[in-house]
Amino acid sequence: MLNLIVSLIAGMLLGYFLRERKQANLGKVTLGAIVVLIFSLGFSIGSNNELLSSMPKVGLNALVILLLAVFFSVVLVKVTRKMVKME
Amino acid sequence: MIKYIMIALTLGVVAGYLNNNFGNVIANSWVSSYLFDFSLIFLLFIMGFAFGLDKEAIAKMKRTGLKILIFPFSVAFGSILGGLVGGLILGINVFASMAVSAGYGWYTLAGPMVGQLFGTEFGALGFTVNFLRELLTITTASLTVKIDKYAPIAFGGATTMDTTLPIIVRYSGSEALITAFSSGFTLSIIAPFTIIAISTLR
Repeated sequence: MLNLIVSLIAGMLLGYFLRERKQANLGKVTLGAIVVLIFSLGFSIGSNNELLSSMPKVGLNALVILLLAVFFSVVLVKVTRKMVKME
Repeated sequence: MIKYIMIALTLGVVAGYLNNNFGNVIANSWVSSYLFDFSLIFLLFIMGFAFGLDKEAIAKMKRTGLKILIFPFSVAFGSILGGLVGGLILGINVFASMAVSAGYGWYTLAGPMVGQLFGTEFGALGFTVNFLRELLTITTASLTVKIDKYAPIAFGGATTMDTTLPIIVRYSGSEALITAFSSGFTLSIIAPFTIIAISTLR
């Protein structure tokens, strides 16, 4: 967790100090890194037999709980954002 | 973009499955730890860099201030409410279903923890619900962002500080970086506590 925060802040500081220089186009590099990240995420899912075997058993219940959880999360975020007048 | 993500995810799952069940050609930990961590840390650096370059993003963040905290707490409350309603509809133990949804997408935590507190059957549910939450956030960010600019952050729960962060920033913009990261960070911290708190209520 700490290494994530450190790299985020290091990137921010570097960006902040280089902001008057010419803009860099990071789109392709980011996409490449995202592809690697998602591949390795998939890899750890695919090699987790416990996870794969538990999915079909609880599939329908899981789907119901998941959809309700994200639904209420979105609704509450919208409502509270209106309440505190955040753009 | 979503095309590349789906291909990478599918290839990853297939490769991981084949590797794990047919002879471990590559050490599993090499891909799911080193490659994963390296790409994630690199991405956070890049996203931080893009944020630092963006003058407007910093100005917007200053205006938002502490209001940023409404995100994790709304998501936590909404998730647990979803667990409660879901448990009632399905006629299962509502405390277990609330604990399951209080994993906020962190399946490696919620699976074992709920399993220990409520039994293996619910552990499997905790695993699946939270894993699917991460997957749903990744695969639908391009659509959910149309409902609300911050809907992908609500979808992502605790995962918005790492795995789903790059995708959210891609669709919601650089100014969503701090909102998403702090929301995921806060939810990751409160997830174990809320799961335990719910289990003591039953």
